[in-house]
Amino acid sequence: MNINGLLRCGQGAHRACAARFGTIFRKINRPPNASESILPSRSELSAFLEGVERRAYKQAVFAVRDGEAALDIVQDAMLRLAERYGDRPLAEMPMLFHRIVQNAIRDYFRRQRVRNLWTTLLSSLSPGRGEGDEQNPLETLPSDQDSGLGESPANRLERVQVLEIIEQEVARLPTRQREAFIMRYWEELDVAATARVMGCSEGSVKTHCSRATHALAVALKARGITL
Amino acid sequence: MNEQQFSNKIRQALNQGARGERVGEHVNARLRAAREQALARMKSERAPAMAWAGDITWRFGGLSGLSFRVLLPIVVLIGGLAAVYVWENNQSVAEIEEIDALLLASDLPIDAYLDKGFEAWLKKRGSH
Repeated sequence: MNINGLLRCGQGAHRACAARFGTIFRKINRPPNASESILPSRSELSAFLEGVERRAYKQAVFAVRDGEAALDIVQDAMLRLAERYGDRPLAEMPMLFHRIVQNAIRDYFRRQRVRNLWTTLLSSLSPGRGEGDEQNPLETLPSDQDSGLGESPANRLERVQVLEIIEQEVARLPTRQREAFIMRYWEELDVAATARVMGCSEGSVKTHCSRATHALAVALKARGITL
Repeated sequence: MNEQQFSNKIRQALNQGARGERVGEHVNARLRAAREQALARMKSERAPAMAWAGDITWRFGGLSGLSFRVLLPIVVLIGGLAAVYVWENNQSVAEIEEIDALLLASDLPIDAYLDKGFEAWLKKRGSH
């Protein structure tokens, strides 16, 4: 390439660079709207995380069926939210956090697939494992420590068992149905926010929610639970 | 029961299952530690110029990314090319030196004496 060609490339790169910088300048210097001016303080972010952390942990357990992995996922999500989005408006925090959690769950499954490639190669060298070695954390959750006022032990046991069955059936839902159901009905995000978290259309969200509700109702009825 | 009523009951059940005493003290402690660690690293609001710089460097993988992932391969490539160029030059110079030494040290071929121009040059040198 001759010098004229190099100069043209440089000019083109310069124009592209200037356009990109202009976009960034406009983004930085645009007048803040009402939502952008409400940035979370440290205590507000702390209150948000404290309110959402246990639900996020349970959602991760539903997805990955591993308590320790679920804790790592939630920890990773909290760190990412605070480090990268700590200066975003408080109203955006739920949507951002749940999107990060869903991405972290997908990253976990990607790593598992790579890990499984090696473990299947080595599994023939290790002694066989019984089917009972893997425990579902949903089946080993500690029971309530508090005794309801005036609640008999039998009622308490029945209530705990019903809770466990509901959690098991929610975990058995297809991934997208479970995500939509949890975002809409447990985290109480609206359809638009749920669609942004899941990366799908609002119509898909409604379809997933409807199917999840129907599947849960059928599954719970089959196990003798009527809500 | 419609979908909303059913989902409300499921939500109540899930909320009960997510209460602190049900998830266990170990989980509560881990979550609390993770929350405190995240708050310690909370990104704070910056001045527009610094935010712009941070945005730019983040897009290129951070300052460390700019230093190592981009510059290191370029430095290694330039250094390698320079080393090859110097080595090639030294090799060619060494070959030329060797050929010149062989020419100067070896005997003159007999055919040189049949060359008229060489005879004239010898006579000219001899007259000086």
